[in-house]
This record gives sequence, C-alpha cells and structure tokens, in this order.
Amino acid sequence: MKTVGFRSIVLYLLLAAFLGGIGFLVVSLFLQGDKWAMQPYNGHIYAGDSTVTLGEIRDRDGGVLASTVDGSRYYSDSETTRLALLHTVGDTEGYISTSIQYTMRAKLAGYNIITGLNDTPLNQLGNDINLTIHRGASVAAYEALNGHNGAVLLYNYETGEVLCKVSAPTYDPADVPEDLEENAAYKGAYLDNTLSSSFTPGSIFKLVTAAAAMEKWPDSWLDRTYDCEGSVEIGGDSITCLHGDVHGTQNVYEAMGNSCNVYFAHLANDLGAEALQRKGEEMGFNREFQFGSVPISKSELQLSGANANQLGWAGVGQYTILANPYHMMALMGAIAKEGEFVQPKLTNNTGFFNGFSQASSRKLVTGEEARALKSLLRNDVESYYGDWMFPESMNVCAKTGTGEVGEGKDPNCWMVGFCDSSRYPYAFAVMVEEGNGGIESAGTVVSAMLGALA
Amino acid sequence: MEFLTGFLRSGVLPMIMLAVRAVTPVLALYVVWRSYTSFQKGQRRRDPVIMLWDEASGTRFPVLCWENSIGRSKSCDIYLPDATASRDHAVLMRRDEGWFICDTGSHSGVLVNGRKIDGKKLVNIGDSITMGSTTLTLWNADAQPERRKVFTGFSREAASPFKLMFTASLVHVLMGLQSCLTEEGFRYEPLLPLAAVLVMGWGLYLFSIAILHRVSFEIETVAYLLSGIGINLLAATNPAGVTTQMAAMLLGMLLFSFLIWFMGDMDRVAKFRLYIGIGAILLFAVNLVFGREVYGSKNWIMIGPVSIQPSEFIKIAFVFVGTSTLDRLQTKKNITEFLVFAGVCMGFLFLMRDFGTALIFFACFLIIAFMRSGSIRTIALILVGASLGVVLILYFKPYVMERFAGWRHVWEDVNGIGYQQTRVLTYIASGGLFGVGLGKGCLSYIFAADSDLVFGLLCEEQGLLMGLVVLLALGLFILYARSDVIRSRSTFFSIASCAAAGLLVFQACLNVFGVTDILPLTGVTLPFISAGGSSMISVWGLMAFLKTSDERTYGARRASRHGFYSAREAGGSPASNAGRPRGNPVGTSKPHNVPPERERGSRQGAHGRPASAGTGKHGRPSGGERERNREMEDIYS
Repeated sequence: MKTVGFRSIVLYLLLAAFLGGIGFLVVSLFLQGDKWAMQPYNGHIYAGDSTVTLGEIRDRDGGVLASTVDGSRYYSDSETTRLALLHTVGDTEGYISTSIQYTMRAKLAGYNIITGLNDTPLNQLGNDINLTIHRGASVAAYEALNGHNGAVLLYNYETGEVLCKVSAPTYDPADVPEDLEENAAYKGAYLDNTLSSSFTPGSIFKLVTAAAAMEKWPDSWLDRTYDCEGSVEIGGDSITCLHGDVHGTQNVYEAMGNSCNVYFAHLANDLGAEALQRKGEEMGFNREFQFGSVPISKSELQLSGANANQLGWAGVGQYTILANPYHMMALMGAIAKEGEFVQPKLTNNTGFFNGFSQASSRKLVTGEEARALKSLLRNDVESYYGDWMFPESMNVCAKTGTGEVGEGKDPNCWMVGFCDSSRYPYAFAVMVEEGNGGIESAGTVVSAMLGALA
Repeated sequence: MEFLTGFLRSGVLPMIMLAVRAVTPVLALYVVWRSYTSFQKGQRRRDPVIMLWDEASGTRFPVLCWENSIGRSKSCDIYLPDATASRDHAVLMRRDEGWFICDTGSHSGVLVNGRKIDGKKLVNIGDSITMGSTTLTLWNADAQPERRKVFTGFSREAASPFKLMFTASLVHVLMGLQSCLTEEGFRYEPLLPLAAVLVMGWGLYLFSIAILHRVSFEIETVAYLLSGIGINLLAATNPAGVTTQMAAMLLGMLLFSFLIWFMGDMDRVAKFRLYIGIGAILLFAVNLVFGREVYGSKNWIMIGPVSIQPSEFIKIAFVFVGTSTLDRLQTKKNITEFLVFAGVCMGFLFLMRDFGTALIFFACFLIIAFMRSGSIRTIALILVGASLGVVLILYFKPYVMERFAGWRHVWEDVNGIGYQQTRVLTYIASGGLFGVGLGKGCLSYIFAADSDLVFGLLCEEQGLLMGLVVLLALGLFILYARSDVIRSRSTFFSIASCAAAGLLVFQACLNVFGVTDILPLTGVTLPFISAGGSSMISVWGLMAFLKTSDERTYGARRASRHGFYSAREAGGSPASNAGRPRGNPVGTSKPHNVPPERERGSRQGAHGRPASAGTGKHGRPSGGERERNREMEDIYS
C-alpha cells in the first residue's frame, strides 16, 4: 500500500492547479473587478430596479449635470446643456463608451470589491464626480456650431483641466429620440468626435511642415521664399491655393498667414517625405494617446510611396492625412508650453491609478520650435484674422484649416490654437464639418467659447 | 407579526442581510475546515497491529497496513533483503475472516507452515510463511503507538459530528432566511426546501450515528453542507426545478448508503465488477441509440417524464472498474483491460459530443492508471496517444476548434462568443465579497445560470467568500482521500477514493475556470451546487468511495460482532482480556525464540521482555489477538 500511497501524491498536481486557478481568479478579480462589474449590460447598475444609487456628476461650479433620484437617472435641467455635454457626461443606456458615466461607473456606483454593488454607506461614500467642465463655454460652443457636426475641445494648458468638450451630432439623453438608430442625422451620435474620430486637417497641418523646415534648416528656414501664382504644377499635377488666390513671393510668416498652399507644397517637396514623416510622428501623428482610460483615435500620417504631387498636397494637410481634435489640442498645449503638453483631464478626483495611464512622452516639439511656432501662430491672428474676433487681452495664437473631404461635401473647417496669456491659459481645437471656412465656421465657435470664458 | 413586517420595511433590512451574508461563509468555512481536521484527528495512529518475525536473522517487520506487499523490491511494504525472493513476492492482507497471505506470481512460491499455497491462504498467529529462503512468523505486535502530529486548526480535539452538523444546518437556515425576509414581508414558500434539506441531512445523521453506530460523519457533513447550499440557491432562482434537486439529494444519499454496504464485502465487489463494467457500456450504448440531443450533446435519455444523464452514473462504474485490490495489482500488472474500457467509454462520449465529460473521464483514467502502474512512461504514452487523437479530431472536425475561439478573448465579443463568461465575471465582481442577496442576482436571467454558470450565481448572490469556501470544500476532498490512502482497508478503496476526489476536483476546475475564462468553456456541472438530478445523485455516489476508504466506516459495526465472538470462543470477556498486561506472551512455548531487540522502534513489554503475542493451541487467534484486531478496526469507539 506504501507505493499506492506514494503515487497518490499525483493528486497534489491537480490540487495545485486548482488552487493556482482560484488564486489567479481572485487576483484578477481584485485588479479588474471594477471593469468587470461596470459593463453596460450589468443589471445592477442600469435596470429600472438598480441596486445601486449612482453618484452625481457636477460641472466645475458645482452645477449638477446628472443625478439619481429614486432609482432614475436625471440630467441637467437645460436642454442645450444636455445636448452639449452628452458625450462628456454620458447616457443612461451606456452606449457612449467614452463618457464619464461609462468609464467611471465604478466610481459613480461606489463600486468596491468588498461590498460589490450593494447599496451600502460604504458605496455611497464619495461616489460623486466633479468635472472640470465649464458649462457656459460648452453651451456657447454647442450653440455656435449652429447645427453643424463637429468637435470642440478646450483645456487649460497649465493645469490640464478640460473646460469644454462638445461633440456633434448629439441627442438629448433625457429624451432619447425614437429614430436615433435610423435617422441619418444621428449617424455617429454615440461617437465622441473629439476623442474617437480623426479628420482631414487641411492647413493646420502646415504647422508640422513648418516645424519640419525648422528642424532641417535651423538657420535658414525663416529666409526661404517661394513664388505663388495661385497654382503650381508639381509631379505632373497641379496644386492650387484656396479660391485660386495669387499670393506672390511669400516667406513663411506670410505663407502661414495667407495659408498659401503653393509655398508649403514646395516646402514639403524640398523637405522630402522622410523628413516630414519623421517630424509629424515626433509631433504625435500615428501615436496612441490616452485620455484617462479612453484610447484616442490616432492622427494618421503615411507618406511612404507618395509621389511629388501627393507630397505637395500632404504638406498642406490633404492627401491621406488625418488629425484628431484631442491630439491637435494637446499639440497646441505643447506649443504654448515650451513643447511639452500637460496631460488633459476631466476631473480632479480620478483616483490612485490614473497617474499611470499616460506612459508615452508628452514632449511634442523642442522649446525653440515651440517659440517659433507660437510666433507664427500669433502673427496669424494679429496680422491676418484679427484680434477683434476674440475677447480682449487673450492674445490668441491660432491657425485655421479647411480639410477637403471630397464627395461633394463642404470641407472640414478647423481652428486650432491657444491664448498666450497667463490669465487665460487655454489651448483649443475646433473642427466643424461641412463648414464655410476656417474663420467663418470654426473661428466663430472659438470666439463664442472664449467669450464665455472671459 | 406586525412588528416583523414593520421592521422588514424599515430599510435596515438590506444592511442586516449583508451582515448575515458576511457571517454565513465564516460558519461554512468552520464546518469545512473543522470537518477535515476532525476527520484527520480521528484516524488510527500508525502503529503495527501484527508483525512478522524472521527467526533466522532476528529481524522484525511491523505490519502497518490492511494490505501489505512483501518482496525483494524496496518499494514493498515489507522489504525482504533476500535474493531468492521475487520482487513482488506476496501480499499479506486483512479481511473479515482474518489475515491472508496471497502469492502474487512469485518464482519460488509461498509456503505456509511448510506447505506450498495456491492463491490465498488464511494465516494465524504463530504460522510461518516461507518466501524464497526467508521464513517469517506471524506475531502480535506490541509497540507503543506513535503520536501523530496533525494540525487541527486551533483546537486539539476533534469537533463532535453533532456540532458540525448543527453549524452546517445553521448555514442553510441563514441562507434560506434570505429568501424569506423581504421588504414586502415574510415569505413562507422558501421554508419548504430548507426544511427538506434539514430533514434529509439529519435523517442521514441519525441513520449513520444512531443505527449504524458510525463514529465519523465528516464527509457526509461536508456533502450535506454543499448540497444544501446548492438547493437553497436553486430554490431562489428556479423554484420549479428545486423539487427534482431535493429528490436527487435523497436518492443520492440512498445510493451513498447502498454503495457503502455494497463495498463492505470485497468478494461481492470482485464478483460484480465485470457486470458493472458491462452494464456501463450497455448504458452508454442505450444512451447513444435512444439519447436525446440537448444543446449539442446527445447525453440525455428520457424515461417517461424523467430525463437522465447516464454518463453521470457511469462515472461511478468507471471508478469501480478501474480500481483494484493489492493482490490483483501485483499479479496483473498491465492496465490493458481498463485502458480498453476507458477507451470505449470516451469513444461513446465523443460520439455523443459530450467533450467536457470525456475530459473528466480521461483525467480520472489518468489518476487510476498512474496509481495502479506507477509508470510515468505509461502515462506519457497515454498522453501522447491522446494528443494525437485530439489532433486527428481537430483535423477531421475543425468546428470543434470554434469552441476555443473565444478563450481569453471574451471581452472582445461580449454579446457573442464571450456572452456567458463576461456575464459570469461581471456578476461575480458585482457581488463583492458578500453577494447581493439570495434571489437578487441578475445572472439568473442568463441561460444555464443554475447549472453551468452556477459558480457565478453563487458568488453574485452569496459573495465571493462563499464561492471560495465551496471550492475549498471540494479541494479538500483530495486531502481526505490522500490521508486515507495507506490506512484504508484495501488499495481498492485507496485508488477509488483518490479517483473520486480527483474526478470531482477536476470537474470543479473545468466548471469554475471554464465560466471565468481561465480555461475554455466546456459546460460541465459544479459538483453539489449545479442544478441537475443525475449530477447530484452521482456526486453522492462518489462520496461513498471517500467514505469506504476510511477504515472507521466499517469499524464500529464489526466491533460489536467481534466482541461477541471473542467472549464465546476464547472463553473470556474482552474486558478480562483487556486487563491483561500488554505484550505479555500468551501461550508462547519457546521463550528463547523471542525476537531480540533489533527492530527499529521496538519496545519492551511489561515484563522487560521483547514484545510478542501468542497463539492459542489450535492456531486460532487468541483473545488477545482478537482484541488487537478489534482495536485496529475500532480504536475510536
């Protein structure tokens, strides 16, 4: 029997596997339990007879954006606020997966591994979330979009607090339209355009082309001039300026202010695809950014294989280039702040683990380039767009762009920039789909938004 | 009553219920852990009962087990340093009638008192056994018992079976009350299954302790605890299905008791083994022909209104066929017969497309095969063969692969392939450590919540702690089996209990890790907890193997019988025998033959003489010997 007894030790292998598996399960549960529990299908959180009371979501002034009364979820009293902040606050059903109500459900439900989703005092302890959102500016931005689809994002480049985050198309979470799924006007309404979409950048990409020139010719980039006759043939096809405007001999300041396509198409070809690609990637193209737990849609830049004409168009932000509003805002924040941006955030009480989410470098340009780009951007507003557009003493630095999207649609109109002001340390990125022009469409939104913040 | 209703509506109830759910797993843990430590505490100490004395060399061999291999191989229980003896020469084993020596295919044969034996032969104290050139004489032993060091938790004493049963019942009551106390008032319906569970558990307790006079009840207590948790959980989720489950628990207990009786007689078991094997294969054949396909597996048969899953019962038959007594192990070393049987069983299961159960059978087969052969080479060959089989299946039936497509990727497709696993994980997490309350879970709306996904339901409603206690209880079955393995009445029981415990734990692995995405989902039941009558009956049946492996199971009953015989035949009452000084030789005629003190651990008798015991004149065991034998069976009374 001794041998049989000895052989029975083989059972310990099984027992070890059993205990190991249980250990793995328990550890996973402790590490990821909040993510597991916070699924949109979880009946304890979303159903009518929810076992938990979700906490309140408030704006930076303490105004309630969402609250739970008797098991039902209520949103702001103002319809425009609800529309403007849908993608930030979130919906009851949990379709907007980048919203606070979705990504921070664990916090809102007071979830903890000890009591789970039981409605205990422990769970109700600190389950409210105070956002950094400025309601007035967001509403102003939404209204200024004037029914257009688009993305508006503004943050304090010193502290990282996001004050304004608006995406359209949107809908009212308190009164969900019945034809939400069918109506073409709501197509993409679940998507937060500021985070999860990338668009053709148009002329705002000229900043990258200019920065590439600074890197390649640090001593002579300012002196480079090209002649603009409204159109030029490069690589067997033409590159034209907007509306066929003839700008004449241009240096970089003039070309940036006039948004001269010919200048930057020449510049891109003189730089070469490789230099432009490298500089673009350094400035955050093709890179994965994280906003809290939300992965940001990449800005795309792929110049390998582009011919001379395509490279020319790439130099002015057309070709296949795509830019993401969040990335553009961060780039503006970096230019405003010596080349390195402060990690944007929506709330100051995000918890312990949030600090580790941003692993990649926040340095997008060198300090010298940042200063040069700032002066180009300031010159745009000062000499071309006009400071009258914006509230006084904001010292706005900006660049507009019109990204042609083809298919007979009007262009994506952009304005990206920041206020070079210690009192108003705001960086912003605004994109209006099918707009009339950079200044006309996006500029109006920026103007309204800054007006509300002044 | 109005006070109660008012209290229930006051809003304090959820907090109190949470506290109850926090206490319940602690009580359950107490039952599970103390059952095990008490079980160990109550086991026989490892002291020799009889011994073999080599007159030529003077060596004394203590006989420690019920079945002892004797031979030249060092792995033998009694190792003979004799070149003329075979490696595994003979087996000395204890049966109801006394001690038997059994030649296990030795070259030179076994001689008892100078006469060559054929097969097995009853030997008595004083008989000499010749193997090769060694002659051993059977003696009574008289060594001081070794102290066993057992960690029994925080108490030195074994807990009384009553106390453990009482605590287990308290767990059930606390669980059942969760369904009764609602904010709408007190509900009476959930009391019925609760009462049924209590009656069945205490019924078995009384039957075992009061009628059969068994001394240990730990294994039954754990089984009762787990069954009750399962039934309470089911009663709140699927009140319609709980009747079946309760009936199954009763049938399971009956099967449990029957199997213990059945295995009480080794000859009976040996006689029926072949029929059990044939019966199992016939049952599989019937299943395959008349089987009904349910959710992709054809593993159900309908008999009138009752649906039965035959493979559950074949698990028991499988263990029966696989296990073996030591003498048979020694004479028939290859496992071909069992290999063929296992192959046929698994073939049937594959034809029924019940891959999860096939895997369980395979794991059980591996355990038995290894315990029988001890050959790592054989196991390796079997594994290689099985892998080839799997590759062939995947080659010819690539759709099987789809089952594994979602494994470790369930979060990528929460509404498709990862539907069940993600729900389980979400609701386990939602429950926290203490659960959301009986009947308040959301997992119950998901298909198979009370069977395949039941671990998720248990954790969601009763908390992770309760889930872990249940798993601990299942895992401890391995330790029960292990601690019995050399103490059981035969390797038949050792191997069977290890196989049964291994089977249950492996099944629990497949179930729990399958639904939590640690292993691919296979769709097997969680022993005791999952809804399913066949499964419940079968699991209780498997418990019988653990129970019979414990020598105490049959001990108490024999004690009274032997007491009667010794009083009559030896002409003295057990009491008068007990009064005699221990180790004083009775009727020993040759004092100079007394073995010198060479044996390790030998101790002197009361008169300063080496320990030995005598025989009666007619070679029958004397009263003293009988008493010793009785002690071996009944040290616990």
